[in-house]
Amino acid sequence: MKDTKAMKRFSPADFLSIPIRPHGSRRNFVSRALVIFFLLHSTYLPAQQTKAPESAVKATYLYNFSRFVQWPADAAAAKGDAFSICVLGEDPFGAVLDSILSGETIGGKPVMTKRVARSQDALDCRVLYISASEDGRLKEILAGLDKSGVLTVSDIPQFSQRGGMIQFVLVGNKLRFEVNLTNAQTAGLTLSSDLLKVAVAVRKSS
Amino acid sequence: MFRDYSISKKITWTNAIVSGAALLLACAAFIGYDVVSFRRAIVYNLSIQAQIAGSNAVSALLFDDQNSAEKTLSALQASPNIIRAGILTLDGRPFAAYSRDARPEIPALPRLVAGQPETYRFAGRTVLLVRAIEFQGKPTGLIFIQSDMEGLYARLRLYVGISTIVLAVSLLVALLISPIFQREISGPIKQLAEIARHVSLDKDYSVRAAPSNSRDEVSVLVDAFNNMLSQIQEREGALQKAHGELELRVQERTTELNNINKELEAFSYSVSHDLRAPLRAIDGFSQALLEDYGEQLDSAGQNHLQRVRLAAQRMSTLIDDLLNLSRVTRSEMRREKLDLSAVFRSIAEELQREQPSRKVDFVITDGLTVEGDSRLLRVAIENLVGNAWKYTSAHSCARIEFGLKQDNGRPAYFVRDDGAGFDQRYSDRLFGAFQRLHAMTEFPGTGIGLATVQRIIRRHGGEIWAEGAVEKGATFYFTL
Repeated sequence: MKDTKAMKRFSPADFLSIPIRPHGSRRNFVSRALVIFFLLHSTYLPAQQTKAPESAVKATYLYNFSRFVQWPADAAAAKGDAFSICVLGEDPFGAVLDSILSGETIGGKPVMTKRVARSQDALDCRVLYISASEDGRLKEILAGLDKSGVLTVSDIPQFSQRGGMIQFVLVGNKLRFEVNLTNAQTAGLTLSSDLLKVAVAVRKSS
Repeated sequence: MFRDYSISKKITWTNAIVSGAALLLACAAFIGYDVVSFRRAIVYNLSIQAQIAGSNAVSALLFDDQNSAEKTLSALQASPNIIRAGILTLDGRPFAAYSRDARPEIPALPRLVAGQPETYRFAGRTVLLVRAIEFQGKPTGLIFIQSDMEGLYARLRLYVGISTIVLAVSLLVALLISPIFQREISGPIKQLAEIARHVSLDKDYSVRAAPSNSRDEVSVLVDAFNNMLSQIQEREGALQKAHGELELRVQERTTELNNINKELEAFSYSVSHDLRAPLRAIDGFSQALLEDYGEQLDSAGQNHLQRVRLAAQRMSTLIDDLLNLSRVTRSEMRREKLDLSAVFRSIAEELQREQPSRKVDFVITDGLTVEGDSRLLRVAIENLVGNAWKYTSAHSCARIEFGLKQDNGRPAYFVRDDGAGFDQRYSDRLFGAFQRLHAMTEFPGTGIGLATVQRIIRRHGGEIWAEGAVEKGATFYFTL
């Protein structure tokens, strides 16, 4: 019940670039129809002042980051048939993450969400969000992941300088991110230049 | 207007109009084709630019980075024809905008139907293209680009300029070249027309059109025309000759006839004249016989002698009349003014004096003057009045009229009586010499009087005719 309540507070269209379901789904049809309705009438809603909760934006970004990253073939194969987006430590998303990501696919693989407690459990994850609660054990966590091809994302301050790959930062009141390209390359990941283009900063060393 | 032009002018104009029309159509087709293909090219280019800009803006859209999207769009300023461009989020919010003249505004976008990646609309002098931005098969946003069509209009202006120049030059060339062809076509026709006019005006069939060197219809026409002229000339000559011969023959015949006529008249004159002498002898000696030996004859013998005398006298009158008739034909005309009414009156009075016992009422219209030979006309009136007097003698009370009436617009003089009259069926016989409609015993006469009148009237160029009915009188009309 709590999940549906959260859903009701903001319509899917309020999210920036809401991931839309693959063809054939009924929901997808409805949201498409909605989009087309807007386009047909050439009406522009005034810029939405009621911003989506930061957690929802972050959850969407986790999904969007994955779309600009290329995993090495062997690492991708080792991670199985699901595309896992994992949360390590204290979960700040709750149901929002599941409701946004459920039913999505990336590269033909269904997106799964997973909560893990240790980095060893995150080896088959594609994306790992490291909660701010793990600030203290960050070094240990990152070392545990090593070169297993996991895209690390976190809010932890100076995450990108401390061995992390993508770090959320607030610029003004807007959520943005920094990238450490070297860390990603070390893990065998290729980040698209399109992603780097919109990053606040792209670092090249740890 | 065109109808009245000369052939060469018509040919020139036809050339100009045909070549002008062909050129105009060709130019219009080229321009039309170019407009269509240019518009297609504009749309195609816009589509490519929208695709590039759109895919470059995907990450900006996904990570809500308006600055990055605007940077992407600002690359469009390399295309000077792009007026404005913009990116919208999936829910239709403006996300980033570019404007050539720094006046960012969002135009009314054409509708994008489901399953359609892009659409465009030509509005005024611009074209507006809208394209959906997709990333990894998922709709991510919307991009629109609006471009002016200055390129097209510049090209159109150039085309119109070139077309005008080409048209003017080709018309000029057509006008310059057409005299060369005209010499071949309209030259011979013009010459033909000139000669035809000359022939019909001056009746000169000796001219010929110069034969043309070509082997076309015009040369056939020229040959046929010349042939016709030759034939006409030939016929004209033959006709003239025949005419001349005829005239000559008529003249010959006329002379011949005149001679015969003169001979005849001379003969009848001399006969009449020569007949008089024996007649006088017969009458004279009969008279002498009656006077000198009358007593020795019984009444039957005397009666026979009287009859001989009467017959001789009658023959004498006849001869007088015949002489009169030939004199009328032969004598010379002297035209002068004559008061016909006065002549008529004097004759009437004379008759009245001779036979005062008769009661005849003369009704004479005064002042009828004519121009003619007074002696001949007097003879004619004498005959007409004498006739009237004679044929009313059976009536105790008679009326004789002389007047003028209009007949078919010409003045006709008439002498009318209410005497014995005649049968209208025989009216044409009245004027023949020795022709009489009444018996000698009824009304005496020689039958020459009216013949004489007719000759006199005819010599004056006039006509004479009569109307009448038995016992209802007769009217003689004559014109002069």
